[in-house]
Amino acid sequence: MAVGVVRSALRVVCYPPVPLPARRPLPTLALALIPRAVALNLALGAVVGALKLPVYLDSVGTILVAVLAGPWAGIVTGIVSNSVLGLLVSPALFAFIPVAIVIGWLAGIAGRIGAFGSLAGAIAAGLVIGVAAALASAVIVIALMGGLTASGTGILTIAIRATLGVSVDSAAKIAAIATDALDKPLSCVLVYLVLERLPLRLSARFRTA
Amino acid sequence: MTSALDRWNPLTPLAAAVAMVLAAFAGPQPYAPALVLALALLVAFASDIGLEVTALTMLVVLPTFALLVLLDAAFPEAGSAQRQWIPSRAGVLDALAISLRLGAAIAALGVIVTGVAPRRLTRALAARGLPAWAAYLVIASLEAVPDARRRAQDVIDAQRCRGVAVGKGTGVRGRLRVLPALAGPLIVGLVTESEERALALDARAFDPRAARTTLAPIADPEAEQWARRVIWLALAAVIAWRLWQFAQSLTIAT
Repeated sequence: MAVGVVRSALRVVCYPPVPLPARRPLPTLALALIPRAVALNLALGAVVGALKLPVYLDSVGTILVAVLAGPWAGIVTGIVSNSVLGLLVSPALFAFIPVAIVIGWLAGIAGRIGAFGSLAGAIAAGLVIGVAAALASAVIVIALMGGLTASGTGILTIAIRATLGVSVDSAAKIAAIATDALDKPLSCVLVYLVLERLPLRLSARFRTA
Repeated sequence: MTSALDRWNPLTPLAAAVAMVLAAFAGPQPYAPALVLALALLVAFASDIGLEVTALTMLVVLPTFALLVLLDAAFPEAGSAQRQWIPSRAGVLDALAISLRLGAAIAALGVIVTGVAPRRLTRALAARGLPAWAAYLVIASLEAVPDARRRAQDVIDAQRCRGVAVGKGTGVRGRLRVLPALAGPLIVGLVTESEERALALDARAFDPRAARTTLAPIADPEAEQWARRVIWLALAAVIAWRLWQFAQSLTIAT
């Protein structure tokens, strides 16, 4: 057993080794990345606003962490991201934490099976994540808000109800899928492009962590 | 920002807010959400954060109510006597019930969001057993947000200076093509920076499971601990009452 020794002029002090935890909840690199990913989820709003794009891109950080550090890290990023959004923007966003969990988990699985190795794989992963996230958010919107949110998606729900003649619940699901089916593949494509440009040394560190 | 809520241990208003949200949904409708909304706004005004909490609540509640009434007026049920574009009484009452529940939840949580400093709340949670890694993630995220927003604006300004067309007049496809040029440097910058942060954490022997000691512990008087126990008991009673009602309805149905 290694023992650290500090010598001074008068005495010798022996320190026992500091026991490291057998299993860390998250590697340090993931712990350092998650706050930046959460900030990214919020900061990309400025880019979307400047470009006036009809998307949110508020899950890019969550997807990135999930792909680099695994599903568990993705889930944690999603929870922290929506909690911080709830604290900084509106408490109504706390209700959508389950959606962020679904996104983080599915993106982590997609990363594990190598979906982000090609552009087509990233788009396919985005579509699957988009549909799952849309269904999860539609369930919350129907249960808590009667099927309508105070946003563009709410107006889209009314438009779908008017044109297709379906029920409010079905219109809410279709509206959610319509918005997320564009947003999540675009987020996944951005993550794919970033992974392509990331220094190899850094992505290798994530793999070994 | 300091508010009257700073006199309390943050866990007490948090417990009260969570209990109020659950009571608004589980209690008798529409009285429970109306009572919770009134109580939350009363506490907010007493704590000098009334205007912020009211704005936060109305920003979600009013559009939701308007859209629900619009939906009811635009699509009357087939075979009913309701005329198009005139909302029915039942539709308005339904919209009011949903909006009240939503408003009660947002107002109750809004008091915490607006009146309690997130850092103080996280410290109080850490003192009650929140793991060090979770506390670190919340506090570091809150601190990283303003920096990331400033950096996003810097990237947009820099790309504009280089002649990248940002904004309207370029078409959606053109703007989508510009997206990687704006988002790419921001994302890569934040990811590479995280490596430096990880090294700094390792250099300080950051142990995510170690219990933290605090320089200025937040007081948790016994009276507040008892108040929290009473809150949880009252909440358990409301949920039990709701479950009993649900069981009764099942018995009647069979």
